[in-house]
Amino acid sequence: MILRRILIANRGEIAVRVIRTCQRLGIETVLAASEADLDSMAARLADITICIGPANSSASYLNIEAIVAAAFAGKADAIHPGYGFLSENQKLAAACDRAGICFIGPKVEQLDAVGDKLKARAHAAVSGLAGVPGGEICSLDEAQRLATQIGWPILIKAIGGGGGRGMQQVHDAGKLAAAMEMAATEAEASFGDPRLYIERFIPRGRHIEVQILGDGENVIHLGTRDCSIQRRYQKLVEEAPAPNISEILREEMHRAAVAFARHLDYRGLGTVEFLLDCDRDTFYFLEMNARIQVEHPVTEAICGLDLVEEQIAVAEGRKLQWKQDDVKFLGHAIECRINAEDWVHDFRPSPGTVTRAVFPVGQGIRVDTHIQAGATVPPYYDSLLGKLIVHGANRTEAVCKMRRALSNFEITGVATNLSMHAALIRNDEFALGGVDTAFLHRFLQNGNREVA
Amino acid sequence: MANIQLLDVSIRDGNQSLWGAMGFTTPQILSIAPVMDRVGFRALDFTSSTHMGVAVRTHKENPWERIRMARAAMTNTPLQFIGTGLRFISWEVQHPDFMQIVYDRLVANGISRFVVLDPMHDVEALLESARMIRKAGATEIIAALTYTISDVHDDAFYANLAAQLSKSPHVDRAYIKDPSGLLTPERARTLILAVREQLGDMPLELHSHCTIGLSGLSYMAAAELGVKVLQVACGPLANGSSLPNAQRVVANLREFGHTVNIDDRALAMVADYFARLAEAENLPAGTPQEYDASFLRHQVAGGVMTTTRRQLAELKLEDRFPDVMREVVQVRAELGYPIMVTPFPQIVCTQALYNIIGAERYGNVSDQVIRYVLGKFGRPTTPVDANVKDRILSRPRAKELAAEPPPLPPEELRKRFKPGISDDELLLRAAMPAEEVDAMLAGGPTKRHYNPDMQPIFKLLRELQKRPVAADIVIEKPDFRFELHSSRDREAVNA
Repeated sequence: MILRRILIANRGEIAVRVIRTCQRLGIETVLAASEADLDSMAARLADITICIGPANSSASYLNIEAIVAAAFAGKADAIHPGYGFLSENQKLAAACDRAGICFIGPKVEQLDAVGDKLKARAHAAVSGLAGVPGGEICSLDEAQRLATQIGWPILIKAIGGGGGRGMQQVHDAGKLAAAMEMAATEAEASFGDPRLYIERFIPRGRHIEVQILGDGENVIHLGTRDCSIQRRYQKLVEEAPAPNISEILREEMHRAAVAFARHLDYRGLGTVEFLLDCDRDTFYFLEMNARIQVEHPVTEAICGLDLVEEQIAVAEGRKLQWKQDDVKFLGHAIECRINAEDWVHDFRPSPGTVTRAVFPVGQGIRVDTHIQAGATVPPYYDSLLGKLIVHGANRTEAVCKMRRALSNFEITGVATNLSMHAALIRNDEFALGGVDTAFLHRFLQNGNREVA
Repeated sequence: MANIQLLDVSIRDGNQSLWGAMGFTTPQILSIAPVMDRVGFRALDFTSSTHMGVAVRTHKENPWERIRMARAAMTNTPLQFIGTGLRFISWEVQHPDFMQIVYDRLVANGISRFVVLDPMHDVEALLESARMIRKAGATEIIAALTYTISDVHDDAFYANLAAQLSKSPHVDRAYIKDPSGLLTPERARTLILAVREQLGDMPLELHSHCTIGLSGLSYMAAAELGVKVLQVACGPLANGSSLPNAQRVVANLREFGHTVNIDDRALAMVADYFARLAEAENLPAGTPQEYDASFLRHQVAGGVMTTTRRQLAELKLEDRFPDVMREVVQVRAELGYPIMVTPFPQIVCTQALYNIIGAERYGNVSDQVIRYVLGKFGRPTTPVDANVKDRILSRPRAKELAAEPPPLPPEELRKRFKPGISDDELLLRAAMPAEEVDAMLAGGPTKRHYNPDMQPIFKLLRELQKRPVAADIVIEKPDFRFELHSSRDREAVNA
């Protein structure tokens, strides 16, 4: 099968990113855009733009019927869902199957297998990959028992979602009931699913993930990424490969991720997320993301592949062109997510109109963005303005390049977190590499944040 | 009304016919490869041993890696290699075992379709190559019926060849290869029918150069007469002494009611890319050709004609081109009418050039002509002129070449080089000067990206880099102003 016209059911920088690869491959693009995005860069780059509804994403970017209808109207033979929104939605994938449209992503049953955290953990366990000790809880009693068994402190999480929503940290039995109630309410509101599970809280952990690519039969990994720099479980800085881990541990992670994906006969691009327990020097399975990730460019930088191109190739039914040994890793890459957030005021979102946008250029510097002077940052969606990715021969060179590139990155009109990144990249602990997930909190506490 | 497929020759034959095979680098090919793969071509004429040699010599690029990378980028479209008998890159005839390794490596690196042809129309030699290629694992082998005009090359001659090819299990298809663009629509009608009758179910393709503007019409005749695949080129790599323009052929085929299942948008993107590349690299675009009756006499294909013109230009003797072409006719007759397909146009043209610029005819004779007269390339279609033969064979060099040892088998060749080198490297080292292969290997990793629109900017930057530091550089044109100012502030310079 050859895909000739792809509908992009997304917005912002990822829509632009997907369009650019399609253009390079000679594939026409149809952008499914909300009313708020009809003047966006993606809308201007796409061959066709179809309005799929009002700004509110539940009526547009989350509206399966509107998206499938747009694919029909635009005569697209495939849908690329990007990340977020409906990217891992089984209903969209199933609707595509029914409509005879190619869904650029894993098969419905694979989305099912990894979309639900408990199912994903069960599958991981079968493939030999253990999660953080814990389990589903249906009652307070059950939660008490399980927490005592795995040891305090514990984390309460939502089965139906991610991104930190519905998550609660509990240090003793007395606070369990209230935390459960809060988590269930938030989970219900965010994901329409109040079910919860608990797991052991790891005091010093790193978020490390392995990029995998499968064609439904063969699976290869494209190395590790470290995404430990997070604020409220939202990643801000990512790097590849993950620094300061032993090669033995890294190889084990690669192997575990590939074994898991093989167990699923995985087709497409996926990320197996691990929690590296710094004190125990071991890792647990967290979850698998069955889509392209925001931070995919750091992987592209070190392995030289275009991951969107690979997604399309696999969706076209082609076998992987690469064997594991063909994948060569070169140097070190870092990505900073530039958000329209007033970081000195508790990261308050800062929608508005960009008056000036100047991006750094040069060898080993890449900016993925949908922003230019005059662009509007609507209040309805996430605040990502763009991603600055640098690639150096080693981590020291990459850090140095990032420092310089950030100083040449200019956005005015909306508040940004550029100055936070500039401070962070100069931080001594960051410079050493391999910070844990609590680092950013410490960094922000230690005078790196002007008091409002 | 027929369903017609297209094979594109832009990268190999188009490039060779119009740009002397110098046109393409690996990044230039890779940057358009995914789009070419989506057009829906039956196959791409991708490389030849000459083309591989140019990659090493001119671009310091590994031709094997080029094949591998192109294969990875174009999984839907078979890539074709065109060979001539027992040659690889150099003019020397190679040992059969050596050629087997060549074919094995081509297949292993990603070539799946092969052209077999023999300039002397020696079917035995051609089928022997086909057998070796099949053994290497090729999925499609297509035999050339090389078209020319002479008393012996009538329809019955080609029908007889076709009959022999159709019986071989190692030949999957055949094509009428008209490297000089001599086929008229009238002759196409009788020739195609005669050949098809003998081929039976074996598909027939047509490859006819535009040299004197005949092929556009011949292709339409061919479509009516059951030819399945028409070989074309894209944008500036079509016309001139190359093949007909894909977009024009598609439009004409549809005009006559035929169906062509290709993606017109992708095809237009390919043509546009080559046009931008030609402009950026200052390469000439092929133009529609006028009918030239005299050409039917000398029959020199486009690529060789371009080379000959360039050689004359280097000697500041451009004005002697018509004389050389006249001399080509004479030399070809004296040499027994070799069919004008690689390597013979090069050999005949070089000899014609020597005859014109030298003090006397055959005063200077290339080793290749001596080898030809000695019969090292096979048996000429008609005997070589007796006087010319005597003259050539009386040269002392003829005795040396007559005593030339037979080509070495690969295991002997291997002893000449550093132990442990790969087959790919062995084949290049055996066929090319060591310093050229060394320079290629020292060239570093192959680049992947090329954007024709960026070339003027790179050129500007390269030129600026060569100049002594200028404090201020300003480029101004309507609606555009570009300023560069030197500064002591590092950060500002980086900006």
